[in-house]
Amino acid sequence: MLLNKELRLKIVNIIRDAKEGHIPSSFSIVDILDYIYGNVLKIDPKKPEDKNRDYFILSKGHAAAALFVVLNKYGFLSDYQLNSYGQYKSILGGHPDSTKVPGVEASTGSLGHGLPTAVGIAFGLKIKKMNNKVYALVGDGECHEGTIWEAANISSNLKLNNLKVIIDRNQSAQQLMPIENMEKKWEAFGWNTIVFDGHNKLSIKAAFNLNHENQKPTALIANTTKGKGVSFLEGHGIWHHKIPNESEYSLIKKDLES
Amino acid sequence: MTNMRQTFGKTLTEIAKKDKNVVVIVADISHGIFSDYREVIGERYFNIGICEPAIVNIAAGLNKVGLNPVVHTIAPFLIERSYEQIKLDFGYQNLNINLVSVGSSFDYSKLGCSHHCYEDVAILKHFKRSQIFLPGSSDEFDVLFTQHYKDNKINYFRITEYPHNHKINLDVNKREYSFKIKEGNDLTIVVLGSQLKNAIQSEEILRKQGYDIEIIYFNTVKPFEENIFLDSIRKTKKFICIEELSYSGGLYEECLKTSLRIDKKIDSDHLSINDFIHDYGSYEQLSKIAGFSVENIIQKIKNLKNK
Repeated sequence: MLLNKELRLKIVNIIRDAKEGHIPSSFSIVDILDYIYGNVLKIDPKKPEDKNRDYFILSKGHAAAALFVVLNKYGFLSDYQLNSYGQYKSILGGHPDSTKVPGVEASTGSLGHGLPTAVGIAFGLKIKKMNNKVYALVGDGECHEGTIWEAANISSNLKLNNLKVIIDRNQSAQQLMPIENMEKKWEAFGWNTIVFDGHNKLSIKAAFNLNHENQKPTALIANTTKGKGVSFLEGHGIWHHKIPNESEYSLIKKDLES
Repeated sequence: MTNMRQTFGKTLTEIAKKDKNVVVIVADISHGIFSDYREVIGERYFNIGICEPAIVNIAAGLNKVGLNPVVHTIAPFLIERSYEQIKLDFGYQNLNINLVSVGSSFDYSKLGCSHHCYEDVAILKHFKRSQIFLPGSSDEFDVLFTQHYKDNKINYFRITEYPHNHKINLDVNKREYSFKIKEGNDLTIVVLGSQLKNAIQSEEILRKQGYDIEIIYFNTVKPFEENIFLDSIRKTKKFICIEELSYSGGLYEECLKTSLRIDKKIDSDHLSINDFIHDYGSYEQLSKIAGFSVENIIQKIKNLKNK
């Protein structure tokens, strides 16, 4: 059974209204985001700057719509703010802005920046002897960027076991320049790895509940599908940055409500 | 005499003894100058390796949790290679950093263009929150760094391997960025950082030939301190700017914009770097190729004076 039909519909609605956004990339991560904001991250929407909070960075910033609907669900953003997405003077746009949106830790959009920033946060917390946890979500296509692997090497050398990276393996890389043996690559960089189904609640839960008793950072590799939940969006590169017209929107809605 | 890079290590060690928020990250460089620092504050010094863009991102993360990052490596890799990181983390997101470079301009003269960097100041100047310091002596570095490292800004300190060896009267309690070195009436030399040496030598020769030249020295491009400069060009109505920077986006640009506000005709010229210096050689040899020679400065001054 498909998780989070309601959140998916909200994603489509705000993107359709704004005529901006990445629907398939948002659909591939929305189940994971919903789970971790509801069950994993220690963050209080009333105190998003609390120094004891956990940190989450959406490194693949083009999936911002998924983050925004989840931040709305958990009380960081009002309905009014969510519905202003992409409008003039809104705090929400096609990529998240940390200077405007409560709960957004990094302004991402240019790929390959969010993970090394998360490494800096995890490293800083270690220096300050604090116990907060740090999470970053990167795309498998984003793993083409050199800074991802610079960060991977640094993290294991610095023994950042307070850092978990979620890799959204939605097969974007496969459409461009395949990255084979993703798990082995992260393991070779000195990371723990866990592979899970990013659209199955039990699998997501099991992955995030598993903690390794060592000094290594952890890579959680999520097998996902771009556009998951709407048959004609799934896996199709053409829909990466496409805005549905009225008839396509009706079909999407029908698919999600079926 | 202590060179500027050694002064950087000493200044930082003294600061870090008192300020627990300072964290130093280097990209496999200057290990020797940080030996005292490592001994005193070992847990806040890290050689992250040769991955400058990630290091700048990491500095952003450190600042997110309240630490004050000092990032140090060779100018082209610190500023030009990592420019997008600086732009997005510190320009766009208003985070704070201290960037300390060596090997700017053509200081690494025998290493070729891959290790030259003339445009660092121009690209950093764009950011509203940037401050750009080009001390020409170790004393100036010590004062500027100590005064500014805690400013919540993008602070860029450009260490030169070729100090001007002229004593600048510094007041540690005042934030001063420009200094009158020599009084004169005919023409103003505006000079930045290490080029003060050439400016002083040129003035000495010209004085013997009957010229009465004023020298205004800057060790900071941004903030641009205009008062001494304005007073000078109101008097001389002519200035030449000497800066080891790209021909656009540096000190001359600030001087020109400022001079336009004067209700008098001001003539000016400049000596800066246009495109690459393709040759290998000593710093002095490359200086000549780029036009930073006493002979060329004197000729330019005479041309401007007789205009």
